[in-house]
Amino acid sequence: MSEHTIAPGARFVDPAVLARVGNLEFVARSVVDGVINGLHRSPFFGASVDFAEHRGYVPGDDIRRVDWKVFARTDRYFLKEFEADSNANFSVLLDISRSMAFGTRLSKLDYAKTLAACLTYLVHTQRDRVGLVTFDSEVVDFVPPSAKHLDVVLHTIDRAKAERPGQIGPPLKKLAEHFGRRGIVVVISDFYAEPDEIFEAIGPIRFRGNDVILFHVLDPMEIEFSFSDPASFEDLESGDQIPIVPDALAEQYRALVKAHIDALTSRASAQRVDYMLLKTSMPLDHALFQYLSIRDRLTRTR
Amino acid sequence: MTFLTPLFLLGLAAIAVPVLIHLTQRERRTVVEFPSLMFLRKIPYESVKRRRIRDWLLLALRAAALALIVAAFARPFVRGSELSAAGGGAREVVLLVDRSYSMGAGDTWARAQQAARQALQNVSALDRVSLVLFSSTAELVLRSSADVARVLAEVEAARPSAGATRYAPALKLASSLLAESQLPRREAILVSDFQRAGWQADEAFRLPSGSVFTPVLVEPPSAPNLSITPLSLQRVSDQGPERVAVTAGVVNRGAEPANRVSLALEVDGRVVQSATVDVAAQSSASTTFAPIAASGTSMRVVTRLPDDGLAADNAFHALVTPPQALPVMVVGAGGRGDSDLYLLRALAIGDRPRFQATTHQVDALTPEALARARVVVLQDLPMGDAVAARLKTFVEGGGGLVLALGPRASWPANASWLPVTITGSEDRTRGAAAKLSGFDYGHAVFEPFRAPRSGDFSSARIYGYRVMSPTPGGVTLARFDGGTPALVEAVVGKGRVLAWATSLDLSWNDLALKPVYLPFVHQLIRQASGHREQPGWLTVGQAVDVSAGGSGAVVLAPSGQRRTPAEGSSAIELAEPGFYEVRDAREGQPLQVVASNVDLAEADPARVEPAEVSVAVTGQPGRANDPGSAPAIVPDEVQEQAQRIWWYLLFAGILLLIAESWLARRLTPVRH
Repeated sequence: MSEHTIAPGARFVDPAVLARVGNLEFVARSVVDGVINGLHRSPFFGASVDFAEHRGYVPGDDIRRVDWKVFARTDRYFLKEFEADSNANFSVLLDISRSMAFGTRLSKLDYAKTLAACLTYLVHTQRDRVGLVTFDSEVVDFVPPSAKHLDVVLHTIDRAKAERPGQIGPPLKKLAEHFGRRGIVVVISDFYAEPDEIFEAIGPIRFRGNDVILFHVLDPMEIEFSFSDPASFEDLESGDQIPIVPDALAEQYRALVKAHIDALTSRASAQRVDYMLLKTSMPLDHALFQYLSIRDRLTRTR
Repeated sequence: MTFLTPLFLLGLAAIAVPVLIHLTQRERRTVVEFPSLMFLRKIPYESVKRRRIRDWLLLALRAAALALIVAAFARPFVRGSELSAAGGGAREVVLLVDRSYSMGAGDTWARAQQAARQALQNVSALDRVSLVLFSSTAELVLRSSADVARVLAEVEAARPSAGATRYAPALKLASSLLAESQLPRREAILVSDFQRAGWQADEAFRLPSGSVFTPVLVEPPSAPNLSITPLSLQRVSDQGPERVAVTAGVVNRGAEPANRVSLALEVDGRVVQSATVDVAAQSSASTTFAPIAASGTSMRVVTRLPDDGLAADNAFHALVTPPQALPVMVVGAGGRGDSDLYLLRALAIGDRPRFQATTHQVDALTPEALARARVVVLQDLPMGDAVAARLKTFVEGGGGLVLALGPRASWPANASWLPVTITGSEDRTRGAAAKLSGFDYGHAVFEPFRAPRSGDFSSARIYGYRVMSPTPGGVTLARFDGGTPALVEAVVGKGRVLAWATSLDLSWNDLALKPVYLPFVHQLIRQASGHREQPGWLTVGQAVDVSAGGSGAVVLAPSGQRRTPAEGSSAIELAEPGFYEVRDAREGQPLQVVASNVDLAEADPARVEPAEVSVAVTGQPGRANDPGSAPAIVPDEVQEQAQRIWWYLLFAGILLLIAESWLARRLTPVRH
């Protein structure tokens, strides 16, 4: 628990314990309610009807949107415009490739599924439309965003299994055409691909006006590489094996992982993509707070 | 190398375990599922390879340690001699090394030193070693020392001496050393060529009970060896200056005849004659050189053979002293023509010493005449006071007096210095004649007649004799059959007096007609004169009196070494062949010359079997002298326990394991 900053009011629950509950909706509600109840101020409640700006009337505008109070004071026609994101599309792109099945205490897939459920539930409480895409080397399940798809999304998340090798490029490029309407796209993956390939894959989605948030889920063992006994390491996706003496390789491995994370972080920052590294030992609250803070920033900067 | 518990060696198969594990790992390793090898593939594979080489080093260390430990459990030992395995505990080892001159033949001494080194190989740190070098005498070089290196150094420094082999002193010394030891095991090692000449079985040789005796035979070289024999010096004095005929012999103990052997005669360092002899195998030959003139001083005579395998027995040294006759005054009453006949004829024969007998009347016994005489023989004479006094002075000054008593012999009453008091006469003309008996064969006079058939006095018939009563200083040397003293001796001053109770002619006995008369008379005169024949040579190991050199006498050995007698002694021991010179403190001309020779018995290569020596000293051939001991088979357990090789193996194995641990820690990276 010492890996991250403790957010005020956060209710930290061991993800492994949550994973054992089994009912994703219950878990999501518990986590999300806990997060919401812990907030002193909720700037996002009712955000969908918040005033944004005035602009001058031009012929053809709907006269129902004229602000008559301003006309009374200024004798000019101004239209009143409001934020239109209260009903934004929220989609979770969940990587269910074979590598996500890895985990020492809790598999990355279970963590990712819980995280996806929590995020979906949280967004649904904000009356946004929620959708889900599971993919490995291709799209496995696709639930289009809808205000009524919470149950379908949760059910789809629940039955997702990591069985096949994954590849991030093809499925995301294929999905880009389905994200034509601006929305929020959350990609949950272990990102075992070169940064160029990753950002090339999410580029089309990003260019269509979607806000992309990358949750990089890794097991602590993948970062620390604290194996001790020499063994043959088998790639979960390809099945290839390499004889490894961990003591001799650990330093170099850790350096490579760090370089990979650093590259993802810098590339995400450059492309205005939010990136967050999540260890499966970290409570889900942390990820949710991170999401909310990102949403807050998005709202203010718009 | 054998093992006490060889089944433990099956544990060596455990060495294969790490190897098999390693090989198995290569074929079928533990598989760890990992999400992606994307990063691992980017790491150079050489780092893994290098690590494998280090693993092989550790594997070799572990295998070696395992092998040593398994070997230790198998209890290895060397099944060696009884020396190394006669029992448990520390040993008292007495190393006897023969350094008689026969050990100097060829490379015998070098092989003897090698044998001594090998014998000490099994000596442990707890053992004690005594080193005894022996020839005719035994020298204790080191006593019960734990410093084996020092013992070996002493053996290396030792050289063969000129002495002959005598086992008895060395074995007696070894026996006493072992008897004094408190150590549980006692062993004697005898390194020798085992010449029979020095061997004489004796109970005193017995080593203490439980001791181990190890004979180490050093074979002499097979090269032929000729040895010279003692010289025979025959003095020839017919009508001219005395000459000496030297006869020398050569002994060939080899299996091949030796032809035309050159033999040289040296006098005072110069070769004066040479001769050649043919010596058959296992035989001897001699040659007599032409007589050489005897000079007025001592001559140093050497006979020499050419050098062969053993040089020490190729030369013989002798000293030829100037001719000296012993002046004897025979004083008779005169008138009887044959009274001195037998005596003079007897004294005319003989050269050891030669007697120069002259006859005189009583009135010729003047101080001047007595001064020239060594011995005076009084033939049945009555003595007056004046003559008796002169004779007393003569005797006290070192002269010899022989009294042949007859019916007329009488002495003044105050002549108490005489050995006897004449009390009467015994007439045995009637009845059985008296016989001589009761001889003191231990006395110098009768010692030559000790052996059977060496002189028969019993055949002599004594018809009359004077009854003598020995004075307090008189010693009876022979008696008549009635118990009456027949010959009495007394020492007076520096001289001595011998009183013979009957005559030396035919007047009272027929002894002069018996063969024993001549040697008996010679013995009487020699004894009276105090004559001691100076031998022409001595043997190495004998002591020589050097009192002629005075208190600061210096003895110059043949090798040039200067020696002085030990404190409180006037004798030195001869240690090398050649001529010793005794000089006074000023070291002028030699006052005494002594010829020294090696004991030629040592040249006989006949060997006593080592087993015979073992039996004599332990009761068993080469085994411990323990009456109750089983047959001489040392149990393997005892040998193994004595050697304790397992301890060293185990120690080495543990050291290897420690080294392996250290190396493994060095090779393993530190985790942060």
